[in-house]
Amino acid sequence: MNLKNYLKDKCLLLILHLVCMGVLAGFLRMTGYNSGNVILIVICWLMILCAWLTVTYLQRKKYFQEVEQILEQMDQRYLLGELLPDSFRLEDQLYRDMIRRSNKSVIERIHQIEDAQKDYKEYIESWVHEIKAPITSIGLLGENGRKQRNKADADALYRESFRILSLENQKIENYVDMALYYARSEEVYKDYLIRETDLQSVAYEVLEKNRLLLIQNKVKAEVDCKDMVYTDRKWIAFILNQMILNSVKYKNDSPEFHIYTERGEHGVILVLEDNGVGIRQEELSRIFEKGFTGSNGRNHERSTGMGLYLCRKLCEKLGIGIRAESEYGQGTKMMLEFPVSNYISRE
Amino acid sequence: MHILVVEDEPVIRNELKILLENALYRVSVLDRFDAVLEQVKSKKPDLVLMDVNLPGISGFDICTQIRGQMDVPVIFLTSRTDSMDELTGILKGGDDYITKPYQAPILLARIGAVLKRTKGAKTKEVTQFTRKGVELDVSGCRLSYQGANVELTKNEMKILYLLFCHKGEFVARMDLIEYLWENQIFIDDNTLSVHITRIRDKMKQIGVYDFIETRRGMGYRI
Repeated sequence: MNLKNYLKDKCLLLILHLVCMGVLAGFLRMTGYNSGNVILIVICWLMILCAWLTVTYLQRKKYFQEVEQILEQMDQRYLLGELLPDSFRLEDQLYRDMIRRSNKSVIERIHQIEDAQKDYKEYIESWVHEIKAPITSIGLLGENGRKQRNKADADALYRESFRILSLENQKIENYVDMALYYARSEEVYKDYLIRETDLQSVAYEVLEKNRLLLIQNKVKAEVDCKDMVYTDRKWIAFILNQMILNSVKYKNDSPEFHIYTERGEHGVILVLEDNGVGIRQEELSRIFEKGFTGSNGRNHERSTGMGLYLCRKLCEKLGIGIRAESEYGQGTKMMLEFPVSNYISRE
Repeated sequence: MHILVVEDEPVIRNELKILLENALYRVSVLDRFDAVLEQVKSKKPDLVLMDVNLPGISGFDICTQIRGQMDVPVIFLTSRTDSMDELTGILKGGDDYITKPYQAPILLARIGAVLKRTKGAKTKEVTQFTRKGVELDVSGCRLSYQGANVELTKNEMKILYLLFCHKGEFVARMDLIEYLWENQIFIDDNTLSVHITRIRDKMKQIGVYDFIETRRGMGYRI
Protein backbone atom coordinates (compact mmCIF):
# COMPACT_ATOMS: atom_id res chain seq x y z
CA MET A 1 0.00 0.00 0.00
CA ASN A 2 1.45 3.33 -0.99
CA LEU A 3 0.08 6.86 -1.11
CA LYS A 4 -0.70 6.75 -4.79
CA ASN A 5 -2.98 3.74 -4.77
CA TYR A 6 -4.46 4.90 -1.48
CA LEU A 7 -5.52 8.15 -3.13
CA LYS A 8 -6.75 6.26 -6.13
CA ASP A 9 -8.86 4.14 -3.80
CA LYS A 10 -10.27 7.31 -2.23
CA CYS A 11 -10.83 9.08 -5.54
CA LEU A 12 -14.62 8.98 -5.31
CA LEU A 13 -14.46 10.62 -1.90
CA LEU A 14 -12.08 13.28 -3.24
CA ILE A 15 -14.34 14.02 -6.18
CA LEU A 16 -17.29 14.31 -3.80
CA HIS A 17 -15.38 16.80 -1.67
CA LEU A 18 -14.23 18.85 -4.68
CA VAL A 19 -17.75 18.98 -6.09
CA CYS A 20 -19.12 20.03 -2.70
CA MET A 21 -16.41 22.70 -2.45
CA GLY A 22 -17.35 24.01 -5.90
CA VAL A 23 -21.05 24.06 -5.04
CA LEU A 24 -20.38 25.80 -1.71
CA ALA A 25 -18.06 28.35 -3.35
CA GLY A 26 -20.67 29.09 -6.05
CA PHE A 27 -23.45 29.40 -3.47
CA LEU A 28 -21.41 31.73 -1.25
CA ARG A 29 -20.40 33.91 -4.22
CA MET A 30 -24.04 34.24 -5.26
CA THR A 31 -25.12 35.26 -1.75
CA GLY A 32 -22.59 38.10 -1.88
CA TYR A 33 -19.53 36.84 0.00
CA ASN A 34 -16.34 38.39 -1.27
CA SER A 35 -13.95 36.02 -3.06
CA GLY A 36 -11.18 36.36 -0.42
CA ASN A 37 -13.43 34.81 2.24
CA VAL A 38 -14.60 32.03 -0.11
CA ILE A 39 -10.97 31.07 -0.89
CA LEU A 40 -10.20 31.05 2.82
CA ILE A 41 -13.08 28.67 3.52
CA VAL A 42 -12.07 26.36 0.66
CA ILE A 43 -8.43 26.32 1.85
CA CYS A 44 -9.55 25.47 5.39
CA TRP A 45 -11.69 22.68 4.03
CA LEU A 46 -8.79 21.36 1.96
CA MET A 47 -6.46 21.42 4.95
CA ILE A 48 -8.89 19.51 7.12
CA LEU A 49 -9.42 17.00 4.33
CA CYS A 50 -5.67 16.54 3.88
CA ALA A 51 -5.11 16.06 7.57
CA TRP A 52 -7.85 13.48 7.74
CA LEU A 53 -6.54 11.63 4.73
CA THR A 54 -3.00 11.60 6.13
CA VAL A 55 -4.08 10.24 9.47
CA THR A 56 -6.24 7.48 8.01
CA TYR A 57 -3.53 6.66 5.47
CA LEU A 58 -0.97 6.20 8.26
CA GLN A 59 -3.40 4.15 10.32
CA ARG A 60 -4.23 1.85 7.46
CA LYS A 61 -0.63 1.49 6.47
CA LYS A 62 0.32 0.50 9.99
CA TYR A 63 -2.53 -2.00 10.16
CA PHE A 64 -1.62 -3.70 6.92
CA GLN A 65 2.07 -3.73 7.73
CA GLU A 66 1.21 -5.53 10.91
CA VAL A 67 -0.89 -8.09 9.01
CA GLU A 68 1.89 -8.51 6.47
CA GLN A 69 4.39 -9.13 9.23
CA ILE A 70 2.19 -11.73 10.90
CA LEU A 71 1.76 -13.45 7.56
CA GLU A 72 5.51 -13.39 7.03
CA GLN A 73 6.23 -15.03 10.36
CA MET A 74 3.55 -17.66 10.09
CA ASP A 75 4.35 -21.24 9.40
CA GLN A 76 0.95 -22.18 8.12
CA ARG A 77 -0.40 -19.11 6.40
CA TYR A 78 -3.87 -20.45 5.96
CA LEU A 79 -4.35 -19.85 9.68
CA LEU A 80 -4.13 -16.05 9.20
CA GLY A 81 -7.75 -15.50 10.18
CA GLU A 82 -6.99 -16.53 13.75
CA LEU A 83 -4.18 -14.05 14.14
CA LEU A 84 -5.55 -10.91 12.46
CA PRO A 85 -5.10 -7.86 14.75
CA ASP A 86 -8.20 -6.34 16.33
CA SER A 87 -9.62 -3.40 14.52
CA PHE A 88 -12.50 -1.07 15.38
CA ARG A 89 -13.46 -0.78 11.72
CA LEU A 90 -16.55 -2.63 10.63
CA GLU A 91 -15.01 -3.67 7.30
CA ASP A 92 -11.96 -5.18 8.99
CA GLN A 93 -14.18 -7.10 11.36
CA LEU A 94 -16.34 -8.42 8.55
CA TYR A 95 -13.33 -9.44 6.49
CA ARG A 96 -11.75 -11.12 9.45
CA ASP A 97 -14.86 -13.11 10.03
CA MET A 98 -15.03 -14.20 6.42
CA ILE A 99 -11.35 -15.12 6.29
CA ARG A 100 -11.85 -17.19 9.41
CA ARG A 101 -14.74 -19.07 7.87
CA SER A 102 -12.87 -19.63 4.66
CA ASN A 103 -9.79 -20.81 6.52
CA LYS A 104 -11.87 -23.20 8.52
CA SER A 105 -13.04 -24.94 5.40
CA VAL A 106 -9.47 -25.02 4.05
CA ILE A 107 -8.31 -26.65 7.25
CA GLU A 108 -11.09 -29.18 7.10
CA ARG A 109 -10.19 -30.00 3.53
CA ILE A 110 -6.52 -30.38 4.44
CA HIS A 111 -7.37 -32.73 7.27
CA GLN A 112 -9.54 -34.75 4.96
CA ILE A 113 -6.75 -35.08 2.41
CA GLU A 114 -4.21 -35.87 5.10
CA ASP A 115 -6.41 -38.59 6.48
CA ALA A 116 -7.01 -40.05 3.05
CA GLN A 117 -3.30 -39.96 2.34
CA LYS A 118 -2.48 -41.58 5.65
CA ASP A 119 -5.03 -44.32 5.03
CA TYR A 120 -3.62 -44.92 1.59
CA LYS A 121 -0.08 -45.06 2.89
CA GLU A 122 -1.02 -47.47 5.63
CA TYR A 123 -2.81 -49.60 3.11
CA ILE A 124 0.25 -49.64 0.83
CA GLU A 125 2.41 -50.68 3.76
CA SER A 126 0.13 -53.47 4.83
CA TRP A 127 -0.32 -54.52 1.22
CA VAL A 128 3.44 -54.75 0.85
CA HIS A 129 3.61 -56.95 3.91
CA GLU A 130 0.84 -59.14 2.56
CA ILE A 131 2.50 -59.53 -0.82
CA LYS A 132 5.76 -60.49 0.79
CA ALA A 133 4.35 -63.82 1.95
CA PRO A 134 3.66 -65.08 -1.59
CA ILE A 135 6.96 -63.61 -2.79
CA THR A 136 8.69 -65.60 -0.08
CA SER A 137 6.84 -68.77 -1.08
CA ILE A 138 7.75 -68.33 -4.72
CA GLY A 139 11.34 -67.53 -3.80
CA LEU A 140 11.66 -70.69 -1.73
CA LEU A 141 9.95 -72.76 -4.44
CA GLY A 142 12.40 -71.43 -6.99
CA GLU A 143 15.35 -72.01 -4.71
CA ASN A 144 14.35 -75.59 -3.95
CA GLY A 145 13.48 -76.21 -7.60
CA ARG A 146 16.86 -75.03 -8.75
CA LYS A 147 18.80 -76.89 -6.12
CA GLN A 148 17.17 -80.27 -6.48
CA ARG A 149 19.14 -82.78 -8.47
CA ASN A 150 17.47 -85.62 -10.28
CA LYS A 151 19.23 -87.93 -12.60
CA ALA A 152 17.08 -87.25 -15.62
CA ASP A 153 18.60 -85.10 -18.37
CA ALA A 154 15.42 -83.16 -19.02
CA ASP A 155 16.23 -81.78 -15.64
CA ALA A 156 18.33 -78.97 -17.07
CA LEU A 157 15.31 -77.39 -18.73
CA TYR A 158 13.23 -77.85 -15.63
CA ARG A 159 15.79 -76.17 -13.46
CA GLU A 160 16.24 -73.38 -15.98
CA SER A 161 12.52 -72.62 -15.61
CA PHE A 162 12.93 -72.41 -11.86
CA ARG A 163 15.87 -70.08 -12.33
CA ILE A 164 13.78 -67.75 -14.46
CA LEU A 165 11.00 -67.99 -11.89
CA SER A 166 13.37 -66.93 -9.15
CA LEU A 167 14.80 -64.15 -11.27
CA GLU A 168 11.40 -62.68 -12.07
CA ASN A 169 10.37 -63.07 -8.45
CA GLN A 170 13.42 -61.06 -7.44
CA LYS A 171 12.33 -58.31 -9.83
CA ILE A 172 8.90 -58.26 -8.22
CA GLU A 173 10.53 -57.98 -4.83
CA ASN A 174 12.60 -55.02 -5.96
CA TYR A 175 9.56 -53.21 -7.34
CA VAL A 176 7.54 -53.94 -4.22
CA ASP A 177 10.37 -52.61 -2.06
CA MET A 178 10.36 -49.40 -4.06
CA ALA A 179 6.68 -48.89 -3.31
CA LEU A 180 7.23 -49.59 0.37
CA TYR A 181 10.16 -47.24 0.74
CA TYR A 182 8.41 -44.55 -1.26
CA ALA A 183 5.41 -44.76 1.04
CA ARG A 184 7.74 -44.49 4.01
CA SER A 185 10.06 -41.85 2.66
CA GLU A 186 8.20 -39.00 4.34
CA GLU A 187 8.54 -40.49 7.77
CA VAL A 188 11.97 -42.01 7.86
CA TYR A 189 12.38 -40.97 11.46
CA LYS A 190 9.67 -43.40 12.54
CA ASP A 191 11.61 -46.37 11.34
CA TYR A 192 15.21 -45.73 11.95
CA LEU A 193 17.68 -47.72 13.96
CA ILE A 194 21.19 -46.32 13.87
CA ARG A 195 23.88 -48.86 14.50
CA GLU A 196 27.46 -49.35 13.57
CA THR A 197 27.07 -50.81 10.13
CA ASP A 198 29.55 -52.86 8.20
CA LEU A 199 29.22 -51.64 4.63
CA GLN A 200 31.03 -54.71 3.36
CA SER A 201 28.26 -56.99 4.59
CA VAL A 202 25.59 -54.65 3.23
CA ALA A 203 27.23 -54.78 -0.19
CA TYR A 204 27.51 -58.57 0.00
CA GLU A 205 23.88 -58.83 0.97
CA VAL A 206 22.70 -56.69 -1.94
CA LEU A 207 24.87 -58.47 -4.50
CA GLU A 208 23.78 -61.87 -3.24
CA LYS A 209 20.17 -60.86 -3.29
CA ASN A 210 20.38 -59.86 -6.94
CA ARG A 211 22.75 -62.64 -7.91
CA LEU A 212 20.51 -64.20 -10.55
CA LEU A 213 19.98 -60.90 -12.31
CA LEU A 214 23.66 -59.99 -12.08
CA ILE A 215 24.87 -63.39 -13.25
CA GLN A 216 22.46 -63.27 -16.16
CA ASN A 217 23.92 -59.91 -17.15
CA LYS A 218 27.46 -61.30 -16.88
CA VAL A 219 28.42 -58.90 -14.16
CA LYS A 220 31.73 -59.10 -12.34
CA ALA A 221 31.89 -57.36 -9.02
CA GLU A 222 34.49 -56.53 -6.45
CA VAL A 223 33.78 -55.33 -2.95
CA ASP A 224 36.28 -53.58 -0.75
CA CYS A 225 34.58 -51.67 2.05
CA LYS A 226 36.82 -51.54 5.08
CA ASP A 227 35.21 -48.62 6.84
CA MET A 228 32.37 -48.81 9.31
CA VAL A 229 29.68 -46.15 9.46
CA TYR A 230 26.84 -45.33 11.81
CA THR A 231 23.59 -45.58 9.96
CA ASP A 232 20.45 -47.63 9.43
CA ARG A 233 21.33 -50.80 7.60
CA LYS A 234 17.96 -51.39 5.96
CA TRP A 235 17.77 -47.99 4.29
CA ILE A 236 21.34 -48.13 3.07
CA ALA A 237 20.76 -51.59 1.64
CA PHE A 238 17.74 -50.25 -0.23
CA ILE A 239 19.67 -47.27 -1.63
CA LEU A 240 22.61 -49.43 -2.69
CA ASN A 241 20.17 -51.87 -4.24
CA GLN A 242 18.66 -49.13 -6.37
CA MET A 243 22.08 -47.94 -7.45
CA ILE A 244 23.15 -51.44 -8.43
CA LEU A 245 19.94 -52.02 -10.38
CA ASN A 246 20.67 -48.81 -12.27
CA SER A 247 24.18 -49.95 -13.03
CA VAL A 248 22.79 -53.19 -14.42
CA LYS A 249 20.22 -51.35 -16.48
CA TYR A 250 22.78 -49.08 -18.08
CA LYS A 251 25.58 -51.58 -18.52
CA ASN A 252 28.08 -52.15 -21.27
CA ASP A 253 29.06 -55.46 -22.82
CA SER A 254 31.22 -56.74 -20.00
CA PRO A 255 29.98 -55.00 -16.89
CA GLU A 256 32.31 -54.67 -13.93
CA PHE A 257 31.18 -53.16 -10.64
CA HIS A 258 33.51 -51.97 -8.00
CA ILE A 259 32.11 -51.15 -4.57
CA TYR A 260 34.53 -49.57 -2.15
CA THR A 261 34.82 -47.04 0.62
CA GLU A 262 37.22 -44.16 0.93
CA ARG A 263 37.87 -41.62 3.63
CA GLY A 264 36.73 -38.20 2.50
CA GLU A 265 37.09 -34.81 4.07
CA HIS A 266 33.91 -35.05 6.10
CA GLY A 267 33.51 -38.75 6.54
CA VAL A 268 33.35 -42.09 4.83
CA ILE A 269 32.35 -42.28 1.18
CA LEU A 270 30.80 -45.41 -0.26
CA VAL A 271 31.45 -45.60 -3.99
CA LEU A 272 29.79 -47.76 -6.60
CA GLU A 273 31.81 -47.57 -9.77
CA ASP A 274 30.68 -49.19 -12.98
CA ASN A 275 31.91 -49.25 -16.55
CA GLY A 276 28.48 -48.76 -18.05
CA VAL A 277 27.14 -46.33 -20.61
CA GLY A 278 27.66 -43.34 -18.33
CA ILE A 279 25.62 -40.18 -18.10
CA ARG A 280 25.86 -37.18 -20.42
CA GLN A 281 27.51 -34.19 -18.79
CA GLU A 282 24.51 -31.95 -19.38
CA GLU A 283 22.17 -34.46 -17.76
CA LEU A 284 24.31 -35.24 -14.74
CA SER A 285 22.84 -32.51 -12.60
CA ARG A 286 19.30 -33.67 -13.25
CA ILE A 287 19.47 -37.41 -12.64
CA PHE A 288 18.12 -37.11 -9.10
CA GLU A 289 15.03 -35.24 -10.24
CA LYS A 290 11.67 -36.94 -10.05
CA GLY A 291 10.61 -38.40 -13.35
CA PHE A 292 13.83 -37.52 -15.12
CA THR A 293 14.81 -40.31 -17.49
CA GLY A 294 17.27 -38.58 -19.80
CA SER A 295 18.61 -39.92 -23.06
CA ASN A 296 19.77 -43.14 -21.40
CA GLY A 297 16.35 -43.77 -19.97
CA ARG A 298 14.66 -43.30 -23.31
CA ASN A 299 17.03 -45.70 -25.02
CA HIS A 300 16.66 -48.40 -22.41
CA GLU A 301 13.78 -50.42 -21.17
CA ARG A 302 11.40 -49.09 -18.57
CA SER A 303 12.87 -46.11 -16.86
CA THR A 304 10.54 -44.51 -14.42
CA GLY A 305 12.81 -41.76 -13.17
CA MET A 306 11.87 -42.77 -9.65
CA GLY A 307 14.84 -44.79 -8.44
CA LEU A 308 17.45 -42.08 -8.01
CA TYR A 309 14.84 -39.54 -6.96
CA LEU A 310 13.87 -41.84 -4.13
CA CYS A 311 17.54 -42.40 -3.26
CA ARG A 312 18.15 -38.69 -2.98
CA LYS A 313 15.03 -38.18 -0.93
CA LEU A 314 15.99 -40.90 1.52
CA CYS A 315 19.58 -39.69 1.68
CA GLU A 316 18.36 -36.23 2.59
CA LYS A 317 16.31 -37.68 5.42
CA LEU A 318 19.19 -39.80 6.62
CA GLY A 319 21.71 -36.99 6.43
CA ILE A 320 23.79 -38.74 3.81
CA GLY A 321 25.25 -36.95 0.82
CA ILE A 322 24.61 -38.48 -2.59
CA ARG A 323 26.28 -37.48 -5.82
CA ALA A 324 27.35 -38.88 -9.14
CA GLU A 325 30.34 -38.49 -11.39
CA SER A 326 30.33 -39.83 -14.86
CA GLU A 327 32.12 -39.82 -18.13
CA TYR A 328 29.78 -40.54 -21.01
CA GLY A 329 30.58 -43.91 -22.52
CA GLN A 330 33.12 -44.74 -19.84
CA GLY A 331 31.17 -45.39 -16.69
CA THR A 332 29.61 -43.85 -13.64
CA LYS A 333 30.62 -43.37 -10.05
CA MET A 334 27.80 -43.08 -7.55
CA MET A 335 28.88 -41.83 -4.18
CA LEU A 336 27.23 -41.90 -0.77
CA GLU A 337 28.90 -39.75 1.81
CA PHE A 338 28.37 -40.65 5.45
CA PRO A 339 29.26 -37.71 7.62
CA VAL A 340 31.32 -38.42 10.70
CA SER A 341 29.97 -36.12 13.31
CA ASN A 342 32.55 -34.41 15.47
CA TYR A 343 29.94 -34.19 18.13
CA ILE A 344 29.76 -37.95 18.52
CA SER A 345 33.32 -38.96 17.87
CA ARG A 346 34.86 -35.99 19.71
CA GLU A 347 37.78 -35.85 17.38
CA MET B 1 20.40 -80.65 14.51
CA HIS B 2 16.67 -80.45 14.90
CA ILE B 3 14.82 -77.35 13.73
CA LEU B 4 11.19 -76.61 14.46
CA VAL B 5 9.36 -74.42 11.96
CA VAL B 6 6.42 -72.43 13.32
CA GLU B 7 4.87 -70.88 10.23
CA ASP B 8 1.20 -70.71 9.26
CA GLU B 9 1.59 -70.25 5.51
CA PRO B 10 1.51 -73.85 4.19
CA VAL B 11 3.57 -73.24 1.04
CA ILE B 12 6.31 -71.40 2.90
CA ARG B 13 6.22 -74.09 5.59
CA ASN B 14 6.71 -76.93 3.13
CA GLU B 15 9.37 -75.22 1.09
CA LEU B 16 11.21 -74.18 4.20
CA LYS B 17 11.14 -77.79 5.32
CA ILE B 18 12.59 -78.96 2.00
CA LEU B 19 15.22 -76.23 2.06
CA LEU B 20 16.34 -77.08 5.56
CA GLU B 21 16.28 -80.82 4.90
CA ASN B 22 18.46 -80.25 1.84
CA ALA B 23 20.84 -78.45 4.17
CA LEU B 24 20.89 -81.67 6.26
CA TYR B 25 18.86 -80.49 9.23
CA ARG B 26 16.16 -82.57 10.86
CA VAL B 27 12.94 -80.57 10.53
CA SER B 28 9.56 -80.64 12.27
CA VAL B 29 6.68 -78.35 11.47
CA LEU B 30 3.64 -77.28 13.43
CA ASP B 31 0.25 -77.14 11.80
CA ARG B 32 -1.79 -76.16 14.83
CA PHE B 33 -1.06 -72.95 16.67
CA ASP B 34 -3.19 -73.27 19.79
CA ALA B 35 -0.77 -74.80 22.26
CA VAL B 36 2.53 -73.93 20.71
CA LEU B 37 4.48 -73.96 23.94
CA GLU B 38 3.47 -77.58 24.72
CA GLN B 39 4.28 -78.66 21.20
CA VAL B 40 7.67 -76.98 21.35
CA LYS B 41 8.36 -78.66 24.68
CA SER B 42 7.44 -82.11 23.40
CA LYS B 43 9.47 -81.78 20.18
CA LYS B 44 12.62 -80.56 21.99
CA PRO B 45 14.14 -78.78 19.00
CA ASP B 46 17.64 -77.27 18.88
CA LEU B 47 16.29 -74.18 17.20
CA VAL B 48 12.89 -72.63 16.51
CA LEU B 49 12.08 -70.65 13.37
CA MET B 50 9.14 -68.52 14.41
CA ASP B 51 6.81 -66.56 12.18
CA VAL B 52 5.70 -63.38 13.94
CA ASN B 53 2.13 -63.25 12.58
CA LEU B 54 0.42 -66.45 13.53
CA PRO B 55 -3.33 -66.98 13.57
CA GLY B 56 -4.64 -65.67 16.87
CA ILE B 57 -1.30 -65.17 18.53
CA SER B 58 1.90 -63.28 17.99
CA GLY B 59 5.20 -65.05 17.63
CA PHE B 60 6.64 -62.55 20.10
CA ASP B 61 4.26 -63.74 22.81
CA ILE B 62 5.07 -67.38 22.14
CA CYS B 63 8.73 -66.52 22.39
CA THR B 64 8.14 -64.91 25.79
CA GLN B 65 6.36 -68.08 26.91
CA ILE B 66 9.15 -70.27 25.64
CA ARG B 67 11.78 -68.08 27.30
CA GLY B 68 10.00 -68.56 30.60
CA GLN B 69 10.57 -72.31 30.50
CA MET B 70 13.40 -73.25 28.19
CA ASP B 71 16.36 -71.63 26.49
CA VAL B 72 16.05 -72.98 22.99
CA PRO B 73 17.27 -70.37 20.46
CA VAL B 74 14.53 -68.61 18.50
CA ILE B 75 14.87 -66.91 15.12
CA PHE B 76 11.98 -64.68 14.08
CA LEU B 77 10.78 -64.67 10.51
CA THR B 78 8.60 -61.76 9.57
CA SER B 79 7.35 -59.82 6.63
CA ARG B 80 7.42 -56.57 8.56
CA THR B 81 10.51 -54.51 7.87
CA ASP B 82 10.05 -52.25 10.78
CA SER B 83 12.78 -51.18 13.18
CA MET B 84 10.39 -51.19 16.13
CA ASP B 85 9.44 -54.77 15.37
CA GLU B 86 13.04 -55.80 15.13
CA LEU B 87 13.71 -54.23 18.49
CA THR B 88 10.69 -56.00 20.00
CA GLY B 89 11.99 -59.26 18.61
CA ILE B 90 15.35 -58.79 20.29
CA LEU B 91 13.78 -57.64 23.55
CA LYS B 92 11.45 -60.64 23.65
CA GLY B 93 14.46 -62.89 23.68
CA GLY B 94 14.85 -63.73 20.00
CA ASP B 95 18.32 -64.69 18.86
CA ASP B 96 17.95 -63.29 15.37
CA TYR B 97 15.41 -61.53 13.23
CA ILE B 98 15.09 -62.24 9.52
CA THR B 99 12.73 -60.38 7.23
CA LYS B 100 10.77 -61.94 4.41
CA PRO B 101 11.39 -62.45 1.61
CA TYR B 102 14.58 -64.07 2.78
CA GLN B 103 17.40 -65.25 0.63
CA ALA B 104 17.97 -68.97 1.20
CA PRO B 105 21.79 -68.71 1.54
CA ILE B 106 21.45 -65.88 4.05
CA LEU B 107 18.76 -67.73 6.01
CA LEU B 108 20.96 -70.82 6.21
CA ALA B 109 24.01 -68.81 7.16
CA ARG B 110 22.18 -67.11 10.01
CA ILE B 111 20.68 -70.38 11.25
CA GLY B 112 24.19 -71.79 11.22
CA ALA B 113 25.53 -68.80 13.11
CA VAL B 114 22.86 -69.00 15.82
CA LEU B 115 23.38 -72.74 16.27
CA LYS B 116 27.11 -72.25 16.48
CA ARG B 117 26.74 -69.52 19.07
CA THR B 118 24.15 -71.23 21.26
CA LYS B 119 24.98 -74.91 20.94
CA GLY B 120 28.64 -74.58 20.13
CA ALA B 121 27.72 -76.80 17.21
CA LYS B 122 30.59 -77.30 14.88
CA THR B 123 29.45 -77.18 11.32
CA LYS B 124 30.54 -80.62 10.37
CA GLU B 125 32.26 -79.61 7.21
CA VAL B 126 34.41 -82.14 5.56
CA THR B 127 37.82 -80.64 5.08
CA GLN B 128 39.43 -83.47 3.18
CA PHE B 129 38.18 -84.86 -0.13
CA THR B 130 39.64 -87.54 -2.30
CA ARG B 131 38.74 -88.48 -5.85
CA LYS B 132 40.79 -90.76 -8.09
CA GLY B 133 43.82 -90.28 -5.86
CA VAL B 134 43.63 -86.47 -5.97
CA GLU B 135 43.30 -84.96 -2.53
CA LEU B 136 41.69 -81.62 -1.77
CA ASP B 137 42.64 -80.11 1.58
CA VAL B 138 40.06 -77.44 2.28
CA SER B 139 41.58 -75.97 5.44
CA GLY B 140 45.07 -75.85 3.97
CA CYS B 141 43.85 -74.65 0.57
CA ARG B 142 45.97 -77.29 -1.14
CA LEU B 143 45.65 -79.91 -3.83
CA SER B 144 47.89 -82.95 -3.66
CA TYR B 145 48.53 -86.00 -5.79
CA GLN B 146 51.07 -88.69 -5.02
CA GLY B 147 53.03 -86.51 -2.64
CA ALA B 148 53.12 -83.45 -4.92
CA ASN B 149 51.37 -80.30 -3.64
CA VAL B 150 50.04 -77.17 -5.21
CA GLU B 151 48.58 -74.10 -3.48
CA LEU B 152 45.13 -72.88 -4.50
CA THR B 153 43.63 -69.40 -4.41
CA LYS B 154 40.34 -68.82 -2.57
CA ASN B 155 38.37 -68.79 -5.82
CA GLU B 156 39.96 -71.97 -7.16
CA MET B 157 39.37 -73.58 -3.79
CA LYS B 158 35.64 -72.80 -3.85
CA ILE B 159 35.26 -74.10 -7.40
CA LEU B 160 36.97 -77.36 -6.59
CA TYR B 161 35.06 -77.67 -3.32
CA LEU B 162 31.73 -77.68 -5.14
CA LEU B 163 32.99 -80.13 -7.77
CA PHE B 164 34.32 -82.47 -5.08
CA CYS B 165 30.99 -82.25 -3.24
CA HIS B 166 29.27 -83.58 -6.34
CA LYS B 167 31.71 -86.29 -7.32
CA GLY B 168 30.68 -88.06 -10.50
CA GLU B 169 27.92 -85.60 -11.33
CA PHE B 170 27.91 -82.79 -13.80
CA VAL B 171 27.78 -79.38 -12.21
CA ALA B 172 26.30 -76.76 -14.54
CA ARG B 173 28.35 -73.60 -15.07
CA MET B 174 25.36 -71.58 -13.96
CA ASP B 175 25.15 -73.49 -10.67
CA LEU B 176 28.87 -73.08 -10.17
CA ILE B 177 28.69 -69.34 -10.68
CA GLU B 178 25.66 -69.04 -8.44
CA TYR B 179 27.43 -71.00 -5.72
CA LEU B 180 30.41 -68.63 -6.01
CA TRP B 181 28.14 -65.57 -5.74
CA GLU B 182 26.61 -67.07 -2.62
CA ASN B 183 30.13 -67.24 -1.25
CA GLN B 184 31.01 -63.63 -2.01
CA ILE B 185 32.96 -64.34 -5.17
CA PHE B 186 31.26 -62.21 -7.76
CA ILE B 187 32.56 -63.40 -11.12
CA ASP B 188 31.11 -63.84 -14.58
CA ASP B 189 31.11 -66.72 -17.02
CA ASN B 190 34.39 -65.80 -18.75
CA THR B 191 36.24 -65.45 -15.48
CA LEU B 192 35.02 -68.91 -14.50
CA SER B 193 36.60 -70.34 -17.65
CA VAL B 194 39.84 -68.57 -16.79
CA HIS B 195 39.79 -70.07 -13.31
CA ILE B 196 39.10 -73.56 -14.64
CA THR B 197 42.04 -73.21 -17.05
CA ARG B 198 44.28 -72.13 -14.18
CA ILE B 199 43.13 -75.07 -12.08
CA ARG B 200 43.93 -77.44 -14.95
CA ASP B 201 47.38 -75.87 -15.30
CA LYS B 202 48.02 -76.32 -11.61
CA MET B 203 46.89 -79.93 -11.84
CA LYS B 204 49.33 -80.55 -14.67
CA GLN B 205 52.09 -79.27 -12.39
CA ILE B 206 51.44 -82.10 -9.96
CA GLY B 207 50.93 -84.66 -12.70
CA VAL B 208 47.12 -84.83 -12.85
CA TYR B 209 45.72 -84.85 -16.37
CA ASP B 210 42.14 -84.74 -17.65
CA PHE B 211 40.74 -84.72 -14.14
CA ILE B 212 38.00 -82.18 -14.83
CA GLU B 213 35.71 -83.31 -17.60
CA THR B 214 33.83 -80.69 -19.61
CA ARG B 215 30.65 -81.39 -21.50
CA ARG B 216 28.90 -78.77 -23.55
CA GLY B 217 25.60 -77.70 -22.06
CA MET B 218 26.12 -79.89 -18.99
CA GLY B 219 28.98 -78.33 -17.14
CA TYR B 220 31.96 -79.84 -15.36
CA ARG B 221 32.47 -83.21 -13.72
CA ILE B 222 35.22 -84.82 -11.76
